[in-house]
Amino acid sequence: MAEDAFEAVVGSHHAEIRRYLLRITARGSDADDLSQETFLRAFRAYRALPPGSNVRAWLFTIATNLGRNHFRAQARRRRAYAAAALEMRPDAPDRTDGQMLADETRERLERVITGLPAKQRLAFIMRKMHELEYAEIGASLSCSEESARAHVFQALRKVRRSLDGHLPVEMESRS
Amino acid sequence: MSPQHPQCRAIEPDLLSVAAGEAEAAAVGRVEAHVASCGSCREELGQYRPLEGMMATVRRTPLPDDDATLARAQLASRLADLRSRMVGFGIFPSPLGPILIGRSEHGVALVQYLPAGGSLPARVQRLLGEDAVEDRAATEGLRAELVEYLEGRRVRLDWPLDLGRMRSDFQRRVLEATAALPYGAVTSYAGIAARIGAPSAVRPVAQALRWNPLPIVIPCHRVIGTSGALTGYAGRRVELKQRLLAVEGVKTVAARHDFKVNREAMYTMVTGESEYCVPTCGSLLSKSLSTLTLFGTREVAEAAGFAPCTSCRPDLHPLPA
Repeated sequence: MAEDAFEAVVGSHHAEIRRYLLRITARGSDADDLSQETFLRAFRAYRALPPGSNVRAWLFTIATNLGRNHFRAQARRRRAYAAAALEMRPDAPDRTDGQMLADETRERLERVITGLPAKQRLAFIMRKMHELEYAEIGASLSCSEESARAHVFQALRKVRRSLDGHLPVEMESRS
Repeated sequence: MSPQHPQCRAIEPDLLSVAAGEAEAAAVGRVEAHVASCGSCREELGQYRPLEGMMATVRRTPLPDDDATLARAQLASRLADLRSRMVGFGIFPSPLGPILIGRSEHGVALVQYLPAGGSLPARVQRLLGEDAVEDRAATEGLRAELVEYLEGRRVRLDWPLDLGRMRSDFQRRVLEATAALPYGAVTSYAGIAARIGAPSAVRPVAQALRWNPLPIVIPCHRVIGTSGALTGYAGRRVELKQRLLAVEGVKTVAARHDFKVNREAMYTMVTGESEYCVPTCGSLLSKSLSTLTLFGTREVAEAAGFAPCTSCRPDLHPLPA
């Protein structure tokens, strides 16, 4: 039955889709709601999905659209969310100075990503955190593969500029 | 050179693709040649290098709140709820025109006449709800039985029903009383009102039947006006009611914009009794249709479990066929 097949889809992809939504909303409760909504929509449309479709990319598209709607509705509160999310982060008890510095840099990186324009941010997270192909990112954002690549590169350039002078030495030497 | 230099601006896309680790060999060559002579671009490229490592770290670092257990459990329950509400439907041609049959997990939820061409009127779309999906395979067996019924080759549709689309408890009671009418029997709106213990609610009964989500299956065509006129069916399609009754052996005569059941040609029974009569039986006298049930043939009356009256003896003196 189609229902059993859909159970398998939930099993394979729910955790990753929720993680993606958590990254883009920075809030567990939003990730809960939007991930459920993503799969409820997917369930309604699943029968009509052509066989052999890339289900993972399709789910990212639904999640991205829901995420963007969510941002529009919550535009004014978004920065507050990001700030709250960073405060929520539990302090690791035994951090060395080096780790502390690395953590600070990572937090700074996340803050920079949060401040990117929506399309660049989503494209960047899909590419760098979930390793989607540009064609899949383009489909999610209703743009061409080239535009998707351009969004990621724009984001990358902004991230570099924002971190200028904040790159920890030991991370630089490691690469 | 500086970042504003035309050569630096021209190399930037290649430089970004090298920085992202996605550059083709030719682009790598171009970037290498450029940074060999351009200090600021070399520095810029150097700044990209640690980024990939940082992003890999971010990717690997567990997120706070990255626990999908609760969301997964809530999703399971919402999916179960959605499945139970979800209607799969098929649209089929029939002797009465295009018909939609919809079924849910619980049973047959909808039977609707469609306009010629089979488009879905807004009312039907509302009844289907936003979660309906076309699923002809799931309704094919129902279609076959319905066609047999409409062609008079079947007298029962023993389908599990989903009465979840009832508008009210009152409507549910009206439709349950209507569902109990035997094949080939006719009663009046007032008769149904009396059966549900609300004898003055004749108009509400007619309204409840007007919004019957399961016509044919819940045989609202067997309910007529006290005058014997069919009065209405499926909007303005009273001819469908006449045809359904004809299939069951109920004879009607054409009246102005309507049809009328020919009471003289119907076996008649006082509702609640166990014997049926010819319409001229003395026990009936001038009883109103609101207290009577009519049968087109003796066979349907007896199939419903009723016996011939012992005084007018319809078994010995049947009505002319």
